Amino acid sequence: MLKDKIEQYLLEVQKPSRYSGGEVGQVVKDKSKVDVRFAFCFPDVYDVGMSHLGMKILYSLINERENYWCERVFAPWTDMEEVMRREQIPLYALESFDPIKDFDFIGFTLQYEMSYTAILNMLDLAGVPIFQRDRGETIFPMIVAGGPCSCNPEPLADFFDLFILGEGEEVNLELMDLYKEMRDNGATRSEFLKKASQIQGVYVPSLYDVTYHEDGTIDAVTPRENAPATITKRVMVNMDESYYPKQVVVPFIEIVHDRVSVEVLRGCIRGCRFCQAGFLYRPFREKSAETVCQQGKALCESTGYDELSLSSLSTSDHSQIEEMLDQLLTYTDERHINLSLPSLRIDNFSKSVMEKVTTIRKSGLTFAPEAGTQRLRDVINKNVTEDEVMRTCRIAFEGGYTQVKLYFMMGLPTETDEDIVGIAQLAEKVVDLFYSMPERAKGKLQVSISTATFVPKPFTPFEFEPQTEKAEILRKQAVLKKAIKSKRIKASMHVSDISQIEAVLARGDRRLCQVLYDVWKDGGYLDSWDEFFKAERWYSAFEKNGLDPAFYANRTRSYEEVMPWSHIDYMVSKKFLIRENQKAHAGETTPPCREYCGGCGANKCLGRPCFP
Amino acid sequence: MKDYRITFEKRGRVKYISHLDLNRCMIRAIRRSDLPAWYTEGFHPHLYLMFPLALSLGAESICEVMDFRLTEEVPDDEILSRLNASMPEGLKAISVHEPKYEAQHIGSACYDVTLQGENLSQFWNDFISQEQILTEKKTKKGMKTIDIKPMITIEGMTAENDNLCLSLRLPAGNEGNLNVTVVTDAFQKYAEKPILVTKILRTKIFCQNGEIFS
Repeated sequence: MLKDKIEQYLLEVQKPSRYSGGEVGQVVKDKSKVDVRFAFCFPDVYDVGMSHLGMKILYSLINERENYWCERVFAPWTDMEEVMRREQIPLYALESFDPIKDFDFIGFTLQYEMSYTAILNMLDLAGVPIFQRDRGETIFPMIVAGGPCSCNPEPLADFFDLFILGEGEEVNLELMDLYKEMRDNGATRSEFLKKASQIQGVYVPSLYDVTYHEDGTIDAVTPRENAPATITKRVMVNMDESYYPKQVVVPFIEIVHDRVSVEVLRGCIRGCRFCQAGFLYRPFREKSAETVCQQGKALCESTGYDELSLSSLSTSDHSQIEEMLDQLLTYTDERHINLSLPSLRIDNFSKSVMEKVTTIRKSGLTFAPEAGTQRLRDVINKNVTEDEVMRTCRIAFEGGYTQVKLYFMMGLPTETDEDIVGIAQLAEKVVDLFYSMPERAKGKLQVSISTATFVPKPFTPFEFEPQTEKAEILRKQAVLKKAIKSKRIKASMHVSDISQIEAVLARGDRRLCQVLYDVWKDGGYLDSWDEFFKAERWYSAFEKNGLDPAFYANRTRSYEEVMPWSHIDYMVSKKFLIRENQKAHAGETTPPCREYCGGCGANKCLGRPCFP
Repeated sequence: MKDYRITFEKRGRVKYISHLDLNRCMIRAIRRSDLPAWYTEGFHPHLYLMFPLALSLGAESICEVMDFRLTEEVPDDEILSRLNASMPEGLKAISVHEPKYEAQHIGSACYDVTLQGENLSQFWNDFISQEQILTEKKTKKGMKTIDIKPMITIEGMTAENDNLCLSLRLPAGNEGNLNVTVVTDAFQKYAEKPILVTKILRTKIFCQNGEIFS
């Protein structure tokens, strides 16, 4: 048995329980009674993948169906990968220890671009042909993917049978139902794909031809075999009725987000112009306070976790946040459960919410003003004023906080040195505020500034914008360093070629598939980990394939250009994105959706305005 | 408020859980069981839990011990059934009782060790007949060479085909501890050939006075 073989080697590797399964909450079924098996793959190590909420939802959802079985698969760390290759252990699923190449579906979640090489390596470890065209007509395993990066799946188009766009709760089951029916009737891979392409939210890349202009931009994307010209994402309309698990797998080892979480809302009303999630997950939909409390309690009870997190893009934008916290705190206080609110906003971070949170735990506060001056914050539509930052810091300092983390981006559209110096000035003002307060907390203040290079993403108003090149980012960092005077301010600014590669993959086209393949062949794996990322691998693969990374990352795109993802519809219209881009350059802001509808178009799936 | 001690098994793939992870796993199991657990008082209350003797990663056991406290008295069989219903596969509470001895009373522990390889009994006899068995031990002051021979008591040995089964008694606890993997590593090094450790099972924990730790 594969299980016994694996066990022989587990003491050779770090954290062996990443690979041994058996956790509380895992679902084990009798395979003779299962019709369709789904291997849910996260292209990163266990500790990272087990923290992902979407996987927990879809895992439980599929397993609710008696005759379907969903299992978990993660990327082995390099020590385990070496053992697997040496001992010829194929990639297996944690619940059954069966090799995943015999599964009906192998599904990857695409959370970040730098995980793509891990996908290729996992397919190879599984013994599945890397390229879709080499998989033949046998219907299984069907290699599928979903998650945010499916919004531009083109750099992965040659590797996948199909992509699932948008929210997977309904469409995953529809796909599995269709698969079961067609497989039982002896259908081939291509017959299934043709039929599957008719399901809303399913994109079969092999059914589309892409032609290019001489300058390298796309001429047209043409569907074949009756596939739809535009593929539209799926959306769950009612969050209260949408499936949510009552039980999740409880890992033995400590994972990145080691807590249970309840998703309180989807979408975001803010419209920050750089933020892809803020557009991809539209329209804004929230769960009632009651549903959130009920789901949170169920998860705490079934798992024994002592930390519950309310997760969303902006939890404090929930219309019933105070009630929700009051209700939950009555329960969590009594049960020794910490309540954590990972995404609070500066502007509506009220004193009473603050007090509610601080009764539980007191640690550092993290804010993301994103830009150093009001002008630039208006450009990116981060509707936060300096006064609001100061007001919130004051509340925080009164509440006993002594650590403040400020997150910024560098290389934003229209950015000048004045904006960079503004970052330092803002941090200096926070320091001054702290020392001007007689009632400040004891201890030393630490203000940490962290800067990341801006990466323009599809389906944002900045999808047309060039990324700032590395040399210029380095110059800007020097400007910032010079502008910081206080010893209480610590700036961490590392720069890496990863940002440019991420930018290439985010807005890339199909020609990058060969680049990805070459990078992987050259040893590229787990590129999201600094210790494994090697820039030379990528640049030599671009060169070998006659492609220029700057063409993808650092070029201004016209409003008329056919984007690699132009045939994909995330319900936010291009007209709206152009309008927002123009407003950005004019320094005009757009108010939050709750105050004023910007007309993005995402509400079409609701059949009503988002905020009637 | 009442103190309880359970004896439990750790068998099968839970042997890959480290001591720290076991601690977290037990806290969650107790919370799921809904037993009236006692929490420490203080700024960060936490569920009180104590393991008198840690078990190395990769070893199984039929005699692990864990102490905890409940805010009220609960019948023993209810404690057992509620804990066992909430523990993961491979962890099983066998008995519950009031703590008799304290952690510092622990003196030794017994292990069944199964090794696989050719002519192992011969190699083992040669290995154990050495005048000294010197191994490197990591201490706070760096590496130190120690003789582990006087620390090893062989309580049984059977050989069948390529399997060698040993019953070893080794010092354990605060007064001096010898990790069973130190012995198997030293043996592997001595034999200079691949030896597969197929099983390590802790079978008993003794006090310094010779009684079973309970």
